[in-house]
Order: sequence, then C-alpha cells, then structure tokens
Amino acid sequence: MNTITIEKPDVKIRVRDLDFFYGQTRALKSINLSLARNEVTAFIGPSGCGKSTLLRVLNRMYDLYSGQRATGEVILDGENILSPGIDVNLLRARVGMVFQKPTPFPMSIYENIAFGIRLYEKPPKSELDGRVEKALRGAALWEEVKDKLHTSGLGLSGGQQQRLCIARTVAIHPEVILFDEPASALDPISTAKVEELIDELSEEFTIVIVTHNMQQAARVSKYTAFMYLGELVEFGLTNRLFTSPEKKQTQDYITGRFG
Amino acid sequence: MALYDTRRRVNAIAMGLSWVAAAFGLGFLALILGALLWNGVAGLSPKVFLQMTPPPGSSGGLLNAIAGSVVMTSLGVLLGTPIGMLAGTYMAEYGRYSKLTTVVRFINDILLSAPSIVIGLFVYEIIVAQVGHFSAIAGVVALAVIVIPVVVRTTEDMLLLVPGQLREASAALGLPRSFVIRRIAYRAASSGLVTGVLLAVARVSGETAPLLFTSLNNQFWSADINAPMASLPVVIFQFALSPYKDWQQLAWTGALLITAAVLSISIVARALSSRRTTK
Repeated sequence: MNTITIEKPDVKIRVRDLDFFYGQTRALKSINLSLARNEVTAFIGPSGCGKSTLLRVLNRMYDLYSGQRATGEVILDGENILSPGIDVNLLRARVGMVFQKPTPFPMSIYENIAFGIRLYEKPPKSELDGRVEKALRGAALWEEVKDKLHTSGLGLSGGQQQRLCIARTVAIHPEVILFDEPASALDPISTAKVEELIDELSEEFTIVIVTHNMQQAARVSKYTAFMYLGELVEFGLTNRLFTSPEKKQTQDYITGRFG
Repeated sequence: MALYDTRRRVNAIAMGLSWVAAAFGLGFLALILGALLWNGVAGLSPKVFLQMTPPPGSSGGLLNAIAGSVVMTSLGVLLGTPIGMLAGTYMAEYGRYSKLTTVVRFINDILLSAPSIVIGLFVYEIIVAQVGHFSAIAGVVALAVIVIPVVVRTTEDMLLLVPGQLREASAALGLPRSFVIRRIAYRAASSGLVTGVLLAVARVSGETAPLLFTSLNNQFWSADINAPMASLPVVIFQFALSPYKDWQQLAWTGALLITAAVLSISIVARALSSRRTTK
C-alpha cells in the first residue's frame, strides 16, 4: 500500500508486509520498507504510532513477552528473521540495541563490556583488554573512564552510561544497531556526543534510530520513515522528506501541526 | 481560615495518636530488651560457652544448646534456601504472568503465616512418627519448611524490583534467559537476596515450637544429626519453666544470646538493604 521510492542502495534489511499484534490489537499494518546498509535510518512519528514496535521487531525483542506476535517477513541479508527456526540469541548478537534509559549492568565498567565479549569468545586477557579499550574508544568514552575501569558502571553520569551501553553493544561486533530514543533521557551536550557517535558508527554498522525529536532525525539520518497509527506513511531520503514531503500527514507532523 | 484551623487541629490529633502508638510499641520492646539484659547479663560467664547443660541443682553452661542451634539453623537454611530461591526465581522470571505463580504466591503467603507449631506437628507426623525417634534431621526439615516461604517471598520481591529494562538490555546482547537471570538479575538483586536469607536465619533461630516435636532436646553433647539434639530455644523453654534457680538463670542468659544474635543479623540485613537503595 505504501509505495517506496528511493534510489537503489545496498539493502541490509527488507521488511515485507509486516503486521504486528499486541494480543488482539494490530499495532503495525502492512509495513514495507528497506533499510540501507551502513546508513542511518530514522523512524519518526507521534507517540503510539508503532515506531518503537517496528524497531523491536528487528531484533525480535517482542519475543520476551507472550501475546505479542509479528506476521510477514523481515529479511536480514537474505534470511527471514521471523521464521521459527531462527536462534533469537544469535540474531540479537547480530542486531544490537541501545535503549532510551541507559542500562549499565551492575558490574564494573570493564566487566560491562568484557561480559558480552566472553559470551561469544574466550579471548586471552591481553586481547580482551584491547577489545574493551577499542570498544570504549569507539564509543568516545575511553578518555573519561580509562583510570576507573574497575569501578561500578552505575557510578557514571547518564550520558556516560549511555555511551557505555553503546560500547557494550559495539564490542560484540553486531551488523545492525537499533537505537530506541537513545538521547531522550540525556542533556543537550550528552545528546550531541551520542549523535556524533551515531554518525561515526554508521561507517561500520547499519543503524536504525527511533526518535521523538525531528531535529535529531534530520541531523543524524540519511533516510527517514514517518509512521502514523501503525502505518508507514512516508519513507525516503531525510533531506527530501523534511523539505518537500509528499503526504499531507507528513507535512502536518514535521511542521508541528500535530503530534 | 476556619477550615484551615480544623485541618490543623485534626493534624495535631492524628500526630498525637501516632506518637502514642509508636511509643507504646517501642516502650514494650525497650522493656523486654531491658529485662533480658538485666537478667541475662548476670549469668553471662565463660562457663556458658564451655560447659554442657547441667542437671538440676548443679552448675553448667549452654554449649550443647548453642552448638545444636547453630547446626540445625545452618542446615535448615542450607536446605530451605535453594528451594526457596528456585521457586522465587520461577515466580519472578519464568512464570511471572502464569496462573501457577498466583496460586503458589497465595499458598506461600499462607505458609508464611502458618503457626510454627503446626509445622512442627507436620514434620513429627511425616518423619519422627515414621522413623520412631526424635532427631536433629527432623528439626532441620521443620526449620527448612519455615525458611522456604521467607526466601520465596524475598527472592520474588527482589527480582521484581530489577528493572525490566535491564533484562531487555541483557537479552539485546543475545544472552539466553538463564544467563540473564544468573548473571544479571541475581547480581542486581544480590544484596536483597542476601537480606532475605539473613531474615530467614533470624526467623528460624528463635523457633521453639517446631523443634519441640522434632529434635526435642539432649542433655549431652551430640553431633549425631540422627539423634535428638539440644537447641537454645528448647532449652530456654524447658529451663524457664523449671523451679530451679540456676536453670532459670541459664534460660535468661540463653534468651539474651539468641536476641543478641538475631538483632545483629537484622542489623546486618538492614545495612545490606539500605546500601542497595543508596547505590
């Protein structure tokens, strides 16, 4: 139902006829879209439009809760991740996620990162140290924490905690990183750092970000999807969508007439 | 303004009544502790910790009772804690929304407030009556039955306090469920879980009724858990009711020891749980 016209990028994830149900409620309605490899795609729309739901389908986070189900197809590099045979834990190692509220684990900064690495590999101590440092550098946090790696991750500021969570996600080498309003609990300076980081990460990872903040979507993303009441209203290059939206609903939303 | 004055008066009355109620409760606690200290300290001497419980009319200590209490309490907690933790984990993690959890929680609450003498009789019936003699094992089982609901309750409550976000974040790294529980949820709830176990220790270390029908008592030193074993509460019960002065004195001293032990365990538990909230 939604025609999507973008120039042909390299597609990392293709969503086809996706419906999503919370019990009997249909929260997503025949979503079709393609997410470009190593680019940032933003999902915007008013509260309850289904943008977070769509994000949580991409790593099957909804599997944690009974009564939630998705139908349709989500093809990640040629493989339908909604098919029952998929190992969701391996899928989540490939598709990482960063949440709205920073969620450091109750352990040291070092362990927060080493923990995830050790799940998949058993590197020797020196290599592990290097991996932890690389991840922290990758999340622009190394300089701030290098002298207190063995103190609790809970002692960091909110913005630092969020970058720690990003480092933790990056450390296990995912292919896709999902951001669920990653900056909405942060102050403007921390927000700027996280946005800068997202920009850098997009060279290596395919990134999807859900945000309430339209300026943020405009700043960080190459493609934007506007959703409303469970439907994908418009999807395209961010520049184009924000300057000359095709649909009236999109225009009303980005000009602040509702939402 | 009149309305405001009325509110102030009502507030003053409510505040006054609350003060009285608090003072009433605390006053009795102070009286009990005072009496315990006053009567208990008098009998405190190295002998208490070095000698066995005496026959009437001669002097002695409480060594066998103290040792018995320590042994049975530890074994009871060791037996009850894993069962309680696993049940609590099921209720908070795997079966949070299931019917079974609701049923188990209801039954657990009943068990939590069941009179301990009933538990004593129950264990008497299923162990002592079957085996044909009293034993420390039966006492341990009775104490474990008391430990279980306490630990189930605190484990469930503490795990429910762990934010769902943290579980999602762990799952987002690809952690299997059992890993999320063992490595993340338990760790986040660790001080609460330890507090629960300490509270269970405090709860059972003063229990008399369940031991009367199970481990009974023993005048002598015994390390055989298949035989009757002395314990502080039962010795206190027996000695306090006796007409002999030195037995009564030992009962006071034993009561002081238990109270001091329970009090220090509770303080440690408190300290642990407050450290959790300030973190």
